[in-house]
Amino acid sequence: MEYWKDENEPIKAFVKLFEAAMVDDELTGGLKKVNQLILFDYTENGPNCSFWVDCRNGELKVGPGKPAEEPDMTMSLSADDAHRSWSNKLNPVMAITRKKIRVKGSATGLLKLAPKLKKVAAIYVTVLKDLGWEDKILA
Amino acid sequence: MNGNTGKIINVDLDKGSIETEILPEEYYTKYIGGSGLAAKLFWERGNISADPLSPEAMLIFMNGPFAGLRLSGASRNSVAGRSPLTGNWGDSSCGGYFAPELRYAGYDGIIIKGKAGKPSIMLIEDEKINILPAPEYWGKGTDEANRAIKEKYGKNYRTLIIGPAGENLVKYAIILNEGHHAFGRAGFGAVMGSKNLKAIVVKASGKNMKLADPEKYEELRAELNPKIKEALASDVMRENGTAANLEGGVVSGDVPIKNFTSNYWEEMGQELNGGILTEKYLTKRRACAYCSIACKRVVEVKEGPYAIPEGPGPEYETITALGSLIGSMDLAAVCKAGRVCNDLGIDTISAGGTIAWAMEAFERGDITEKDTGGIKLLWGDMATVIDKILPEIAARKGSLGMLLAEGSLSAAVKTEKDTINYTVQSKGLEVPMHDPRGGGHGLALAYAVSPRGACHVASPMLFMEMGACFYPEIGFEYELEPMTDENKAETAVIAVALGAIENSACFCQFADREIAIPEWVGLFNSVAGYNWDAPDMMKAGTRVFYLKRLINYLFGRTAKDDALTPRILEPARDGEPEGVVINFEGMKNKFYELMGMDPVKGIPSRKKLEEYGMGVEAKKVWRET
Ligand code: SF4
Repeated sequence: MEYWKDENEPIKAFVKLFEAAMVDDELTGGLKKVNQLILFDYTENGPNCSFWVDCRNGELKVGPGKPAEEPDMTMSLSADDAHRSWSNKLNPVMAITRKKIRVKGSATGLLKLAPKLKKVAAIYVTVLKDLGWEDKILA
Repeated sequence: MNGNTGKIINVDLDKGSIETEILPEEYYTKYIGGSGLAAKLFWERGNISADPLSPEAMLIFMNGPFAGLRLSGASRNSVAGRSPLTGNWGDSSCGGYFAPELRYAGYDGIIIKGKAGKPSIMLIEDEKINILPAPEYWGKGTDEANRAIKEKYGKNYRTLIIGPAGENLVKYAIILNEGHHAFGRAGFGAVMGSKNLKAIVVKASGKNMKLADPEKYEELRAELNPKIKEALASDVMRENGTAANLEGGVVSGDVPIKNFTSNYWEEMGQELNGGILTEKYLTKRRACAYCSIACKRVVEVKEGPYAIPEGPGPEYETITALGSLIGSMDLAAVCKAGRVCNDLGIDTISAGGTIAWAMEAFERGDITEKDTGGIKLLWGDMATVIDKILPEIAARKGSLGMLLAEGSLSAAVKTEKDTINYTVQSKGLEVPMHDPRGGGHGLALAYAVSPRGACHVASPMLFMEMGACFYPEIGFEYELEPMTDENKAETAVIAVALGAIENSACFCQFADREIAIPEWVGLFNSVAGYNWDAPDMMKAGTRVFYLKRLINYLFGRTAKDDALTPRILEPARDGEPEGVVINFEGMKNKFYELMGMDPVKGIPSRKKLEEYGMGVEAKKVWRET
């Protein structure tokens, strides 16, 4: 991995990112509209390298690993590409076309998040700073 | 012949003659079908000096080689000829159900000349082809005429129908299939109207298809149909239609607002997107023949001032052209305005573009109530658009109807003021609903060099810039940054060839994004037996592009006409692209150089034409040198 020293680091950063997003008014609204249980699967970088976000029924929850229920959508990619993606440095359409991102299930909800990606990237920078990982911030 | 039938119908409405003809196979191997083959036939047989609305004008309908072959997105049809709106080469593509039925009846296309003595329809039932007087349908909206025709002949008879706008020669009149699917652009509904032809109706009794390698084709089809169906973009469009990502488009500055004066309107994005359409008004999803994407919408607005019964719903272009472009974020009103346009037989893009220009002109005082017959043209006033403006345009009635019925450029010229600057068009065709300042700078180049005028489907540039294409076999494996001019001319060289292939094969851009280059080649070879490799296929695409350029040259169009009006080239005033300027001339010059096109004449050099097997054509345009 180019940005992470082990499989735990990205999950720590991404779970924190969603925890921060869940207290941001604008993003909370956007996330609730997604209304899906999503699995972010980075297991190509390690068996435990995954986390889930549950935006169903007006609630917002996030956790490491795999969810207890079957996800509505699974996004599989590398932890490095995920880092680029949350940093708004990876064109998601291009990544999907080139099979860097593989999506299983309905992606309609995901589109509702697309307009908010810039905001997510801003929060991600703060999260990386809070974790003392300034060196991981992509210019 | 394989794949294609090789047979077309020639109709002379002056003489009342109908003849069938077998075309030389070389026409297909060089120009494929669809709009490419139509261009070849126009080049050979068209009267260049004929007014597009005169009896001498040719109206050409042409299928691609895959029509009726049960492949997703591959059963579209092209209409082509000289556009009454622009005076240039024009073509327009339509999904729906006409192409397969025509193919099953035994024909690849129809060429119509002349003018019927009275309102008529053309009826094709296999070998039985008749022109029948049909004054009873004249004056009727497309919906009523479609129902009446189907009632008389049978619901499985496939129809192409014009509305009152076509009959009244509105220069952006459409031709509608099954009352839902449109040949929308360039005004061929008016050409049909000028020929006193209300409808073309077709029914086949069998489905005889001869393919070069049926087994290979079936193998490919079995791979491609699920691939197209299961693609992420297909899933999204099936769920929420082509406006599924409108909100994302607003954020990037791609969605035009108030005649392209703004690139950002957040609330509008939240109100007009495909998800909201699904939630509020969608009753059914529909597809063109054999397409598993099913991006078409059926909607019903149950109550309120814009209530409409269940019927065809708007797609992205209509939602934007009759919504944000004219200052509205009322989705019910947009649904109704789209329905009214369909029924009157008007292109929603040119209608929106022309009305948006008029609204700005009214706001600036460049046109007044004196010019509009007392109608106030105010941003977002949908009641006036629906109840007054659209009906007056379709009827060419009143001073406003007369002013706007020939499109924005013509209307601007009529004002005798400096209003052309804020028409948003290229070669007289109103720009579709993607603003290159926010959608991608390469799109500005694609709009300008497109033979029919500003067009987002003449090439897949929009998709290439957004990252939805990857074609390493033909050199498109690099990433593009939409908001720069970097590599855009190089990309346009590939894009114009691919676009010509798509439009000649009559394949839907939404479906064929999933088809890799070797699969494209495999389709042509297994269906039509062309024995192509990828360079052969690309060469055919470029050849089609070149031929359309040559036709435009004969119409007097040159390099200076590959232009955009200032509005698109001025810095965006707000939103994500605020302040950004497009390096249009730089991209255009480079594109010309790469395509071997003369910087003054705007056509390929003699040498280039010869390289593409177009020596005969070269002689016609380069005879003086
Ligand atoms: S994607 Fe939509 S427009 Fe294209 S062929 Fe399928 S249903 Fe028709």
